[in-house]
Amino acid sequence: MIEHRAVDSDRVDTDISFGLTTLYSGRQVVVALRGGVDTFTAPTLGRVLDALFDAGRRHVVIDLAELDVMDAPGLRVIGPMSSRLHHNGGVLTIRSPSPIIRRILDIAGMGDLIEGRTRDPRPTTLGAEQHSGDASTPVTGASAESTPHDAVRLPAFPAGNDVIDATLRLVTALARATIGGADGVSVSLTRHGRLTTVAASDETIAQMDRDQYSTGQGPCLSAAAEGHWFHVDSLAEESRWPQFVRRALQDGIASILSTPLIVSARSVGALNIYSNTDHAFGPLDQQLAALFASEASSILAEARTEMTNDEVTQRLRDALTTREVIAAAQGVIMGQQGFSADAAYAHIRRTAKRTGLTINATAAAVLDTAQRDDLIGQTRT
Amino acid sequence: MTEPNNTLERARIEVGLTHTELWFRYFELGGMSTALEVEAYLYDALTPTNHDRDIVAAALNERFAELGGDHPLAYTDDVDPDTIDR
Repeated sequence: MIEHRAVDSDRVDTDISFGLTTLYSGRQVVVALRGGVDTFTAPTLGRVLDALFDAGRRHVVIDLAELDVMDAPGLRVIGPMSSRLHHNGGVLTIRSPSPIIRRILDIAGMGDLIEGRTRDPRPTTLGAEQHSGDASTPVTGASAESTPHDAVRLPAFPAGNDVIDATLRLVTALARATIGGADGVSVSLTRHGRLTTVAASDETIAQMDRDQYSTGQGPCLSAAAEGHWFHVDSLAEESRWPQFVRRALQDGIASILSTPLIVSARSVGALNIYSNTDHAFGPLDQQLAALFASEASSILAEARTEMTNDEVTQRLRDALTTREVIAAAQGVIMGQQGFSADAAYAHIRRTAKRTGLTINATAAAVLDTAQRDDLIGQTRT
Repeated sequence: MTEPNNTLERARIEVGLTHTELWFRYFELGGMSTALEVEAYLYDALTPTNHDRDIVAAALNERFAELGGDHPLAYTDDVDPDTIDR
């Protein structure tokens, strides 16, 4: 994965980008590709298709209308997935390939997958699979976008630095679409030392996460900190996290399932599933949540080295600055009062506690004062 | 899951900090132990010096303060030694 990031910048130089949009409608999912599918972007496509398969999606349309380049690695992802779906009662269809890609598909023996030439026309029977409530909505395989109620629409994303977040957004949308009773899903990750929501199915859910960060309590924080899942069956009867629970109830949340994301035996965040109904999640939902959490974790595991390096570098730089200030203040106090290093530190710490300032701010104040005294001393002489 | 015995570990969980984040904060405040050592302090697998223990407590107290709280963790040099709980 380290080379992946390095190659991303190469790819920018060669001006081949890759984007992917996923649209759900009933049983069908349309994966629209943009740019090029090559050695470097094919794994992303593979991961997306695997996730869809794992989530039980069996009717997949790959829309190539905006795809310029399809290399062999792309075919090696799409071909096997087509067989896998076929063996599991599903079908993979390729929509709107350019003439060149159409020829490539023909040469690769995959021309049968192109929409219109498909042996099995099942994907276009989508209308029959709609819930009765949606009967009035005109739906065909080709106009899947016209079902705003059922459709989970994900923003298109560029491959590159944002690819991890985008893939996590996909996992979020899949979890939301798959887990019964889920009214909203989010993924929280530790970034720069703090939990941050990287994907949320809507604004209320994003707010639920923020409420937990700001109150410092809630199942998401607990799952991330303790590394095991937290299930709130009925928020109204919940006695843990009182400040957060009050806010969540006000926003109509009734049950929550938070599953930790574990990378290299460490918890790095949580997948949070919210419902407006009490007792919304059964054992099957917990299993599904665990499945999606492990999917998100494996995405993170691959990217972990790079993310951690970034984080660590930034944090260490900040930390060293703070340490320097504290050490300098310690030195001043040692010189002024003849304290040992530890006693000087304790002095700063006690002052901080008394004044309500942070240790860092207290140390900075000590230095300021010392500098001023020093200047005054200089003017006197 | 049973509650951890260690006061610092209980506090860490309460304020929602990962071990890594706590170590960063500890390091920021001048701590010299490694992340693994700090984790071991919280699991009672290693005994920190008073100085180290107090820096961990300070890092946690500052987190409590960020969340609008007080400084609930006592330091080893606080007036009443009975309030110190490792």
